[in-house]
Amino acid sequence: MVDFGTAELTLEMVQASQLGMRALGAGLAVGLTGIGAGIAEMAIGSAAVGATAENRDVFGLVLLLTVIPETIVIFGLVVALLLLF
Amino acid sequence: MLRPERMRRLLIAAPKGEIDTIIGELYRHNVYHIEDFVPESESAEALSIGHPLPGASDVASALNDVRAIENACGINPDSVEVKAKLPASKVRELIRTDLPAILEEVKGLVAARSRLEARQKEHEQRAKELEPFAAVPLDLDLYHGYTRFTVFTGHIAHDVSVDVPHEKYFSDRVDGNMIVVVVQNEYREQVERDLLDAGFQAIPVPEGTGSPADNQKAHLAEAQSASKEIAGVNEKIARIREKHTDFLVACDELLTAEVERAQAPLRFATTEETFITEGWVPDDRADRIRQALETVTNGRIYIEELEVDDAARVPVEYENPSFASPTQVLMDIYARPRYSELDPTLMVAIVFPIFFGLILGDVGYGAVLLALSLGLRRFLKGDEGRMLLKVLSFASISSIVFGILYSEFFGFALPWNAVLFSRHLNIGGEVHGHGPQVAELMIISIWIGVLHITLGRILGMINARKFHHGKHATKAVIANAGWLGTMWGILILIWSFYAIPMMPDLTGFPVAIAVGAVLLVAGVIGIAQENPLEIVELPTIISHVLSYARLVAVGLSSVAIAMVINFIAIGMMIEPQLEAITPIGVIAIIVGILVFLVGHVLNTALGLLGGGLHSIRLHYVEFFTKFYKGGGKKYNPFGMKSKFTEE
Repeated sequence: MVDFGTAELTLEMVQASQLGMRALGAGLAVGLTGIGAGIAEMAIGSAAVGATAENRDVFGLVLLLTVIPETIVIFGLVVALLLLF
Repeated sequence: MLRPERMRRLLIAAPKGEIDTIIGELYRHNVYHIEDFVPESESAEALSIGHPLPGASDVASALNDVRAIENACGINPDSVEVKAKLPASKVRELIRTDLPAILEEVKGLVAARSRLEARQKEHEQRAKELEPFAAVPLDLDLYHGYTRFTVFTGHIAHDVSVDVPHEKYFSDRVDGNMIVVVVQNEYREQVERDLLDAGFQAIPVPEGTGSPADNQKAHLAEAQSASKEIAGVNEKIARIREKHTDFLVACDELLTAEVERAQAPLRFATTEETFITEGWVPDDRADRIRQALETVTNGRIYIEELEVDDAARVPVEYENPSFASPTQVLMDIYARPRYSELDPTLMVAIVFPIFFGLILGDVGYGAVLLALSLGLRRFLKGDEGRMLLKVLSFASISSIVFGILYSEFFGFALPWNAVLFSRHLNIGGEVHGHGPQVAELMIISIWIGVLHITLGRILGMINARKFHHGKHATKAVIANAGWLGTMWGILILIWSFYAIPMMPDLTGFPVAIAVGAVLLVAGVIGIAQENPLEIVELPTIISHVLSYARLVAVGLSSVAIAMVINFIAIGMMIEPQLEAITPIGVIAIIVGILVFLVGHVLNTALGLLGGGLHSIRLHYVEFFTKFYKGGGKKYNPFGMKSKFTEE
């Protein structure tokens, strides 16, 4: 057992914990933005399906509108990748 | 190229006697887009909408008959392969001689089928009603005809005990149980209450005599014989379909053409003796159709070329080199270009496959998608579907090319190092060459974004001159330049503060700060002079450019999934078992192969979706919003390309 209260922090330990923090941050970035994009797409998607049921012609347009919030999760992914590499 | 096809506006006037010939000639050439005549109530001239040609209603009813037969036989002209073109004269002859007989036969068969279906339904219904009674050993005659007794029949939740003199049958072999209770009339109400307390639901006693089980059997046998007869009728209909499909689709085509021709005068303006029509013809074919019309009418026709005064009224037809024309389907999904604006189809046709390849750069996936797009061509008959498949095949070729550059094959490395930047992630502890060059790829994608948006804004300046006139045009051009200046101003400012690899390093030049700041301020002023509210949109400059990072991000996620599948299937399941083969090991290997196959099939689908949607989205949202309006009218020439018949 290592007594964390008194054990000295070695350089390796600091580096390892930094690595872990970066991985955590990357995970949070993707996960939280994913939730955000999901919430945003939820309303648009249901409206889009309704509109398409009414009129097939608007499919292209509503598909476009539905994927717009995906930008959020792309940003999250970019941040995560920059953190990791 | 880069512009919709040029159109000429023709006005044709001729005596009514020539209307037949002229309509026929226009239809044959299939280039004349009719502008429908709309009568104005206050119009001084006595112009009115024309009447259909004589015989129109006969042709229309014949077409109705043909469509009815096609419907009954399940023939869809769009999905019928063309075997040989039938001569139109022969089809006309056959319509007179053979069509009525075929129609009679099909009508008879369809009527017989619906009669049989009704019979089958009825007997099935009867059998179903008899089902609960079959569980009770009583003949049907025994249920009715009493004056002093009451008979309860119905479903019930559970058996009940009746404490008055009675006769009772209970069965739990049917759904919802079955109970039959016979009591004297004076106990009726009491028993009914007891039964209802136990969840009694009365069901009526079916008519008939004898044992319910025998009755049920008889009905089922009847239903079965009806369904056999239906199968026989269906077979007859199938034989008719086999025998007459070619003739029927030819009839359909010929009659559709005749109906269209016969109804064309409804779109013309007429006077007592003459008719007038206005329409559009592609520039390069206008002279030919003029000459043709003059020849067939012996000069009894007046054709004038009118000025194109309102560009919004001109129908729009694409004019693209053949490799770019399939991309028109992607344009139509968004909006057809207006007549006056630039047609970006060519640019989309070039850039879309590149984006797709950048995202899904993998030789394996590219080859699978290429095979898919070539294979599906046989099954997809519609024009749009085929065009989409062509777009997909170009995209997958680009994916293979980028796969070679990235050195990727289903997530494995090819025997060479990545020529472009490597996307090989460190999954499963195997790194080939150097690890992923994410930062470099990111910067490349930002560069692509900057250049793509710059191109969009330049096109925006060109289009602005076409949309607006006079002072407003200048304002719009300056606003577009302002957006461009703001973006580059921000870029130069960033470059002069931070040294970023693969981008100009301006940190040593204080002048650059000044240049950047001036560009930024001038740009913002340029934007604001058209509409100050647009300032709110300034952050989109950054978000749109960063949005191009998806080219790398989506691609990397697809690489990661592929590598994880490989690691799970091969590294974790198959390889450890290969050292010493045991019976359980064989199962593990088989499961590993399954994981590998299912995983890569899913990832191919994801890659197609991700690569396709994100590439086209970058065009629609980031590129088109800079310059493209769309909303042009579709060019729809009067006429038809005959598939099944020939004159």
